[in-house]
Amino acid sequence: MRVDIEGLSVAYAGRTVVAGAHLVAAEGEITGLVGPNGSGKSTLLRTVYRHLRPTAGRVLLAGTDLRALSPARSARHVAALPQERGADVELTVREVVGLGRIPHQRAFAKEGAADRDAVTRALAEVGMAGAAERRFAALSGGERQRVLLARAFAQAPDVLVLDEPTNHLDVRHQVELLALLRGKGRTTLVSLHDLNAAASVCDRLHVLHGGAVVASGPPRAVLTPELLAEVFGVRAAVVDHPLTGDPLIAFDHREAVPPVGGRG
Amino acid sequence: MTSSRTEERVRGGRRVPASGLALVLAVALLVALTLAVSRGSTSLPPGEVWAVVARRLAGDAPRPGTGDLVVWQLRVPRALLAALVGAGLGLVGTAVQALVRNPLADPYLLGVSSGASLGAVAAIVLGLGAGSALGLSGAAFAGALVTFALVWAVARRGGGFAPLRLVLAGVAIGQFLSGLTSYLVLRAGDEQQTQSVLFWLMGSLGGATWDLLAVPAVAVPAALVLLQARARGLNALLLGDETAAGLGVDVGRLRRELFVVTSLLTGALVAVSGAIAFVALMVPHTCRLLVGDDHRRLLPLSALGGAVLMVVVDLVCRTAMDAQELPVGVVTSLLGAPTLLFLLDRRLGSDR
Repeated sequence: MRVDIEGLSVAYAGRTVVAGAHLVAAEGEITGLVGPNGSGKSTLLRTVYRHLRPTAGRVLLAGTDLRALSPARSARHVAALPQERGADVELTVREVVGLGRIPHQRAFAKEGAADRDAVTRALAEVGMAGAAERRFAALSGGERQRVLLARAFAQAPDVLVLDEPTNHLDVRHQVELLALLRGKGRTTLVSLHDLNAAASVCDRLHVLHGGAVVASGPPRAVLTPELLAEVFGVRAAVVDHPLTGDPLIAFDHREAVPPVGGRG
Repeated sequence: MTSSRTEERVRGGRRVPASGLALVLAVALLVALTLAVSRGSTSLPPGEVWAVVARRLAGDAPRPGTGDLVVWQLRVPRALLAALVGAGLGLVGTAVQALVRNPLADPYLLGVSSGASLGAVAAIVLGLGAGSALGLSGAAFAGALVTFALVWAVARRGGGFAPLRLVLAGVAIGQFLSGLTSYLVLRAGDEQQTQSVLFWLMGSLGGATWDLLAVPAVAVPAALVLLQARARGLNALLLGDETAAGLGVDVGRLRRELFVVTSLLTGALVAVSGAIAFVALMVPHTCRLLVGDDHRRLLPLSALGGAVLMVVVDLVCRTAMDAQELPVGVVTSLLGAPTLLFLLDRRLGSDR
């Protein structure tokens, strides 16, 4: 399901964080959001999963304004993996994944066969079927994040929204988690801190800077040394990855780009 | 690996089946109610107790010379009030903990019970609709709601929402309001002022009559239904506000509803039993350890568990000393304060 973000502005804690952002997440593609800290990535995503309301502009889901749908109805189309990790929740793995069925259930109703199937499939999809009866709180960080992703899968969404899903994971768990997103044909909107991960996993990238989208396109077209200097303030060369052929950004870790005219 | 395994055992990896626990608690409640009615200054055999109850329910006239009057006019309403108040406290604790996403929360610690007490006392002193049970409950509700909003606002100041900040704000505001309550009661200078202060600040079920049961008998089941209908929303909140929003929960609306329901329930409970400490903290937490955080199980079990606890506590308070009763708050504090210390220790240990 295609997502259109049109002229979106969002204020958070009294400050305009996203200012007139335009972007498209095409059907079945993995669309990446990259940008420095505070560029508005998380805030933009929060309006797509309706944690925040836009102050202007709109989010269209296959052409329908999100706000024309009830919260439960839009949650049947859009599932989110926010940065919340719920480490102290006293539930089993199966129960955590079962939370993903909430938008499909009525008050007082028991879980049906469709709910159980969705949970079982989601657990299998992230390779955690064997851990279904374990305590969520007793899992490692990487395992917990896979379970939370399964929670979003169980929601059976047309659009998956992920906010920095690899944060705080070690490299192996990062690779494993991103591999779970690839090749599923699910419309996915993901913010990533790691530009090399973004270049490898995303079909298209949108670069956010100061709350606006300043560049859009395939990773190779977007991640140029000029853009990296201007938006991220770093010196870097972009080469071909010797193993995968993906664009590989080789940062110069010795020296940042000197700020031009104050604001970096 | 070893440490996580150990932790799994310590923190109750093996759960109790919810239906089994419900059955055990239901039987325990029946036993506790029977004991509560049969024990006291004059003790009656349990068979006699049930005979009186059966006669009264059948509409037969009381038999003089038996324990009829004591059982039916004093002990049965008192035991039922204890059960209703306990159930209500179990529910309100579970809901408040979900509302503020903080296992340290309960209406007593957050000062909400003190606000309800002040509301009720103010209504009595100023003579505002205090003649009716509903008027008193209404005033207690208003006090609870205003206090809850105030504590919330203070704890949220600066954006952050640290668990300890919330509890400290609640304790400070609660102490302030308790002070005001004491002042109002003492200034009014009624003959039983010491008794009144004890009632409003420590809680008591001594005032139980059949008439007094009406408000909690409606409020507690109604709250159970209203909260149970939102159990999935409460579950969604477990992982955080953003996750809940992504699951289609209107978080702002759910919070407002919970504010009103928990304040109403606190008002209804405080109006008939004063501010009883720690029950709303202990009961949901013990249930969480036994059955996990799923509110569809947690809410009814906390209600049952709270009912059992309060009936037993009140029985102890009535029978521990020969000459006089202990206020229920004395016993609940003796049980609850160590529970709070245990929770604080665990909480601070895990937050670092």
